[in-house]
Amino acid sequence: MNANTNSQPERKIKMQKKSFFNSGREDSPFKRILIHATLWIACLISIYPITRILSVALRPGNRLLSADLAIIPIGATLESFRIVFFEKPFLSWIWNSLTITVATAIIGVILAATSAYAFSRYKFPGRSVGLIFLLTTQMIPAVMLLVPIYILAIKLGLVGTYRGLVVAYAVTAIPFSIWILKGYYDTIPIDLEEAARIDGCSELQAFMKILLPLSTPALAIVFLFNFTTAWNDYLLARIMLGSKEDLLTWPLGLQRLQGQFVTQWGQFSAASILVAIPVMILFLYTSKYLISGLTLGSVKG
Amino acid sequence: MTKKFMPVFTMILVLAFILTACATPTAAPVATEAPAADATEAPVATEAAPEPVTIVLWTKEGEADGGLQYVQGLADAFTALYPNVTFEVVNKEVETLREDFQTSSLAGDPPSLLWTVSDHAGPFTTAGLIQPVDELFDMSKYVESVVMNGSTWAVPISSGNHLMLLYNKSMVPTPPATTDEFVEVAKSLTSGDVYGFAYNQTEPFFANPWLGGFGGSVFAEDGVTPTLNTPEMVATMQFLYDIKYATPIMPLESDYNGADTLFKEGKAAMLINGDWSLAGYKEALGDNFGVAPMPEVSSTGMMPAPMTSGVYFMIPVDLAGAELDAVKMFVEFVTNLENQTSMVTTLARLPGSIEALSIDAITSDPILKASSEAMTYGTPMPTVIEMRCVWDSWKPEMISMLASASGTTPEDAAANMQAAAETCIGQLE
Amino acid sequence: MITSDVILKSLNEVGVTVLYVLGGTVVIEFILWLLLVRLLKWRYAMPFMLLTPALIGLLVLVVYPLVWEANLSFMNMSLKHFRNPIYIGFDNYIRVFKEPVLKQIYFFPLLGQTVLWTAINITFHVVIGMVLALLLNRQMRGKGIYRMLLIIPWAVPQVIAVLAWRGEFHYEFGFVNIMLKALGFQPLQWLSEPVANFAAMCITNIWLGIPFMMVILLGGLQSIAGEYYEAAEIDGANAWQRFWKVTFPLMKPVSTPAIILGTVWTFNNFNVPFFINQNELETSDILVTGLFRAAFQYNRYSFAAAFAFVIFAILVTYSIVYLRSSGALKGVRD
Repeated sequence: MNANTNSQPERKIKMQKKSFFNSGREDSPFKRILIHATLWIACLISIYPITRILSVALRPGNRLLSADLAIIPIGATLESFRIVFFEKPFLSWIWNSLTITVATAIIGVILAATSAYAFSRYKFPGRSVGLIFLLTTQMIPAVMLLVPIYILAIKLGLVGTYRGLVVAYAVTAIPFSIWILKGYYDTIPIDLEEAARIDGCSELQAFMKILLPLSTPALAIVFLFNFTTAWNDYLLARIMLGSKEDLLTWPLGLQRLQGQFVTQWGQFSAASILVAIPVMILFLYTSKYLISGLTLGSVKG
Repeated sequence: MTKKFMPVFTMILVLAFILTACATPTAAPVATEAPAADATEAPVATEAAPEPVTIVLWTKEGEADGGLQYVQGLADAFTALYPNVTFEVVNKEVETLREDFQTSSLAGDPPSLLWTVSDHAGPFTTAGLIQPVDELFDMSKYVESVVMNGSTWAVPISSGNHLMLLYNKSMVPTPPATTDEFVEVAKSLTSGDVYGFAYNQTEPFFANPWLGGFGGSVFAEDGVTPTLNTPEMVATMQFLYDIKYATPIMPLESDYNGADTLFKEGKAAMLINGDWSLAGYKEALGDNFGVAPMPEVSSTGMMPAPMTSGVYFMIPVDLAGAELDAVKMFVEFVTNLENQTSMVTTLARLPGSIEALSIDAITSDPILKASSEAMTYGTPMPTVIEMRCVWDSWKPEMISMLASASGTTPEDAAANMQAAAETCIGQLE
Repeated sequence: MITSDVILKSLNEVGVTVLYVLGGTVVIEFILWLLLVRLLKWRYAMPFMLLTPALIGLLVLVVYPLVWEANLSFMNMSLKHFRNPIYIGFDNYIRVFKEPVLKQIYFFPLLGQTVLWTAINITFHVVIGMVLALLLNRQMRGKGIYRMLLIIPWAVPQVIAVLAWRGEFHYEFGFVNIMLKALGFQPLQWLSEPVANFAAMCITNIWLGIPFMMVILLGGLQSIAGEYYEAAEIDGANAWQRFWKVTFPLMKPVSTPAIILGTVWTFNNFNVPFFINQNELETSDILVTGLFRAAFQYNRYSFAAAFAFVIFAILVTYSIVYLRSSGALKGVRD
């Protein structure tokens, strides 16, 4: 269970060590086919609903529903995409979302990295209380907080600006980020930092030069987590930005495509696809970090 | 599932606490002014240019049907006439508009003017969030508006929202005049994947006209006591059950979009839908599109009574001074004959001002004319907050009755909805 | 449209934000430094200086709303008492248990629905996630592609995915019924029939949640040293025993936090039940959607505040019990 008290180089080897199903190469062909088939079916189920959205986006006219099951429907057209791109302020929604999200992620990572450092490397009164407090914040039904937050925001003059929203997102993501990062820091032996201190570095320098570079995977996760929190959020953005048409983020923008009775489903779907793509790419790119990071941090409990 | 879509808790600028001690907070662009004690003394709008104001207008009109563009056009035209008055037009979906208006009023930061559906008047009036308009406008120029507690609370822009029988002329050359005819015609057309009839089976709003046709109504004389457990309601629910299971003429599941698609694709010969949808069907079916009032109920000889409502202006309660003046002028501008005429032609809606009801644009367009006729059978939708309870109680019962051939019986459904409505109303204190 | 105006405006807004944050942090830290290091020479100065920005944010923005809501829960605010609510003590809390919280459903049945919802989802998440993780945890071609495709439900914005699924459950045009018909079964009225709707909710959420579990469990599997398995094999354990005696226990440090978090998130999941349950079937509501309806649809603000605290209390209790019993808090207390 204490596989991770080894020093750095050994640990790297363990990361690359193949799992016990090494026998992948020794599996019977039948078993292999079975496994691949299962995985293919799982993948199909995974992506099918999304392809259906694509169909609606490509379908001519504004048809949400149709008996046509083909992924590329009859008479497929890029009209909806064209309208969304050029005639709706879609690009401005994406741009707004992007700026807010990146700002959130950066601030969030910095806040979490420093706070997790405090929890991991220091023993101070209130430490365990703090950690439990962080955990319990995850349990508050968010609905409860909307109205008082809005009132506070009005009082502080933050409605209709990004200031409140960005910090709100960043702080929202903090508890989970701190838990992940702290766990990760805990697996990195303190000897390295102590060695650096002896050599004359200040605490902060040791933190930045030794610990941070070693925690890149966890930092990547926290970045991703902050990103998705801010990118996908609707309710907070609605109360903070809801009345400022030119500051809308994409969830608010997408809602504009839904009328009281009539919804432009073609455009809504086209916009949905376009919105999902950047996130998917980001996810896929960082997914390799996700796997190594999430485990090493938590194995130590 | 991993990350909750809504953040667990919302945060506001940490440092604003500190910084606001030094900086002046930028208030939202339009702060409602402190109510002036003599707001009602504001003069009726004259041609004099008003003081510089920005009107924050929240409208439920969206882009999809051209409504939002129309509103923006009006705002721009008004600003062209009175350069001192600028607008911030914000589009919010109907439920969102209601929720946000309540929240922002609570926080002391409501918009200047609302362009929204009439049933919002109920909650807003109960919560004391809007002001009466009798003193501000000449209400006799308008169709019957929202009257509660002896005051009028909203200014009509368009009226209607009534349900009608829409039919595809290529399948139904003349519209049925009675429900017996209706069922016959529909039965003869239902085969394969074509249905004689479709409607939104998930919303009681679409069932409600039939209740009037069977002689019932949702409220008693006083307008707030629900009368849902009545023989008339049972007859209505039975009728709906019958056309689905006893003499099947419609698909087993059809919500708004489902029925809409079927009709547009020619897979449903008749449809029940409202005046907001006319433009879309005109485009999809062209000359094959027909409009008629819902057929008379054979067993009672009464015409169904769809509920009419409209799109209205509402004014937040604390609005006063120069802003109120500007808002008044804008309201009168929007509801003048010229603009009401343009609304009829652009949005194909029936106007809220009485003189505009007899313009050529309406009388010479067969669809609008039929719609106007259908509206005469309508009855105004109650705007009291108890109405919400009625819808909320009726909906699950309607759905569970129609969910299967042996779902809740009409009698049980009626009894349940009455109980639920009474509970709901009791909780309204 | 995206014009240079829009770009500049966004950048400006964000720039101002960053300045505020930076400036504010510098100010806070400076004050703290003066106070704690220079003046008091406290030995815990450093951690507190590190924690303070986050702490301020959390205190102000969690505690203030909670206090406000607590205050509200003792009043009687609703549409009829919108501007001038009065205090009514614990009445709301009592009413949460004695009156229907939705139109007709009471608190305990709703709680039961929520527990059932959570249990079903987590079970499938963990089981299927585990199976997929085990399958992927081997040398084989195309592993990267599989991983990539299987992660998609997690990567797609949740609301979009949920709306897509809702479309699939449509009676006439949805994929699910079309498949059922093709296989010779009767199509179901997924959106109007209570049991079917609940099943639809679960199916959607299971689809959404598997990738997260799979990724975490896969990582956990990869961190188990091969020696343990070799030792077990030498001792004659078969695959089944190897799984239960070696894999399963060693995965606990990874799986426990994931399960706790997953449970809490599922319990409080708003999007899936709310959007799948388009027809507002009360049998398909769970506690948090009921809370939302009470607060925003029925405008029973004070009642909703009390309701929210009850939900919160339930979750906190559950977490404490679970954490104690699984010993996961051990790492925290040292």
